Amino acid sequence: MSHLGERLSALVDGELSGAELDRAHAHLAACEPCRGEAAELRALKQKLRGLITGAPAEAAMTSRLIAMTGPGGPVPPRRRLLRVVPGRRPVVQASGPAYSRPGSRRSRSGGVTGRRRRYLVLGAVALVVSVGTAAFTAGGGGDEAPGPRITPPVEMYSMEHAIITGEVPYPGPAAQPSSPGPGSDSKAP
Amino acid sequence: MFTPVTRRRDGRSPLLVAAALAMAVPGFLVSACGGQTASAQNDAVTAAGRAAAVGPAVRGRVPATARRPAAARAVRLLAQAAQAAIGTSYHGEEIVTRWSDGGGSVLVSNIWHVSGGQTVTQTMDAGASVSSQPYLSSDTDGRAPEGVLGVTAPLVRLLESHYVVAYAGGGSAGNRTAQVVEAWRADGSLAARFWLDDATKLPLEREVFDPGRHVISQDVFIDVSFASQAPVSASARTSADPPGPWSGPLSHRELLALRTRGWQVPAQLPGGLTLFTGAETEAGTGTVLDLAYADGLSVVSVFEQRGKLPAAMAGWRRTTVNGHAVFVAEPDGRSLTWSSHGMVYTVMADAPAQTVHAVVGALPHDGPTGFWKRMSRGLVRVASWVNPFH
Repeated sequence: MSHLGERLSALVDGELSGAELDRAHAHLAACEPCRGEAAELRALKQKLRGLITGAPAEAAMTSRLIAMTGPGGPVPPRRRLLRVVPGRRPVVQASGPAYSRPGSRRSRSGGVTGRRRRYLVLGAVALVVSVGTAAFTAGGGGDEAPGPRITPPVEMYSMEHAIITGEVPYPGPAAQPSSPGPGSDSKAP
Repeated sequence: MFTPVTRRRDGRSPLLVAAALAMAVPGFLVSACGGQTASAQNDAVTAAGRAAAVGPAVRGRVPATARRPAAARAVRLLAQAAQAAIGTSYHGEEIVTRWSDGGGSVLVSNIWHVSGGQTVTQTMDAGASVSSQPYLSSDTDGRAPEGVLGVTAPLVRLLESHYVVAYAGGGSAGNRTAQVVEAWRADGSLAARFWLDDATKLPLEREVFDPGRHVISQDVFIDVSFASQAPVSASARTSADPPGPWSGPLSHRELLALRTRGWQVPAQLPGGLTLFTGAETEAGTGTVLDLAYADGLSVVSVFEQRGKLPAAMAGWRRTTVNGHAVFVAEPDGRSLTWSSHGMVYTVMADAPAQTVHAVVGALPHDGPTGFWKRMSRGLVRVASWVNPFH
């Protein structure tokens, strides 16, 4: 049984109609691998559409990322530590390495920029990886060549070859019994 | 029908070497004394003897002085043999033995031929019982002329242009006396030896050697009898009397013109194989094109049909030839097939393995899908999914 191949993408995209759609559905009903592949493609497509239209979770994440990019954006309070040392001015410390120099306003703003940059890089990497994975998955299966599936009619070819060569025609593969190959020292190379 | 064989024959049999030495030494003495009395036949045999007896640098080279008369006689004999295969009525048993990478095979057939008419070939089982439908062919349908043991007029012409042919003296094949003709490569290696019936010139035996001087095929025609009528069976006549499905032979120009219709028609293939004929037919799945390439000894038929191969086929196994994934017909490995860019190629070859490998490598194949090709194809598909206007 031949699988749906590229027609599966067309089916998921809703491009099939009429008899072709019926045939595809009939094949899906009987073919577990194609059903699985169709489900994967649909899931992938939904996810991608979600990315574009903005699913709630992703939207929240996006708004947080945008907020981070604003000048002097808020730093999550839980990551700020106020340590009071007797006899000294209170210093602001943070867990990140950018805050290792206490009391420095410059280092604080630099830390925020670094974090923002890190988020941006992570976001970009995540986007590239997602799109790349989706493209790699969707690009599988090869180009479907047009035309019918053919098993070469060897007997007919053999007859024709025999006429040309002036030789006895060989029977086709189905008519031939298997012949074990001789040892390496007993045959011509 | 097919019987595996496990023997290996070397091109130089001890008897041939001894005979060659026996003739080469006096020949050398005669020529050293300045005598010019050796006959063309002796010259040729002496040359052959030298070929088998001396070192690899000049092994097998036929001297130019001895080549001409011996070659002329050889050419004449081969032409007579091709004609005899059509014009003589005969019956005999043909034993075709092939050695290849995957092993060997023996095909035993009964052949009846009526002068100027039909040929019936009936393949026999190893136990000599009739096992297959008779194959009947006819010379009268305008198709390529038939021959015996690969000796046809077009192939003889190619043989003479690709090889040095030389008459090598008398001999015997089976219980009949014969004339021996040899074909030599330009590098001085023996390519083939023919035994032609002394009386009728019908080919009785043929040995083909690869460049390594190993026999790769041996065809023997035994128990030959010459008669005016052939016992063509009624069933054979009925089964094959309608004209064959293939068109008449296409000319070289017609074949090359097929390129404009998208067919792959190389004028040459590796191994010195020249496109010399072709035909086409209509199958249930579309047009099939047959392109025949030969150098006179090696013959390769390339069948092309638009379509693609199924994932698996009964009687075929996957293998790799010259770095390309192909299917090979079991068990003799004589037919190879693969599909590429919407075309199914099937190669049927009577040629040394290295020639077949080179031919497979020269024809189109699908390259492996690279990373970037797959990514770009995927990006296009993904873009089509998220395109709101799609």
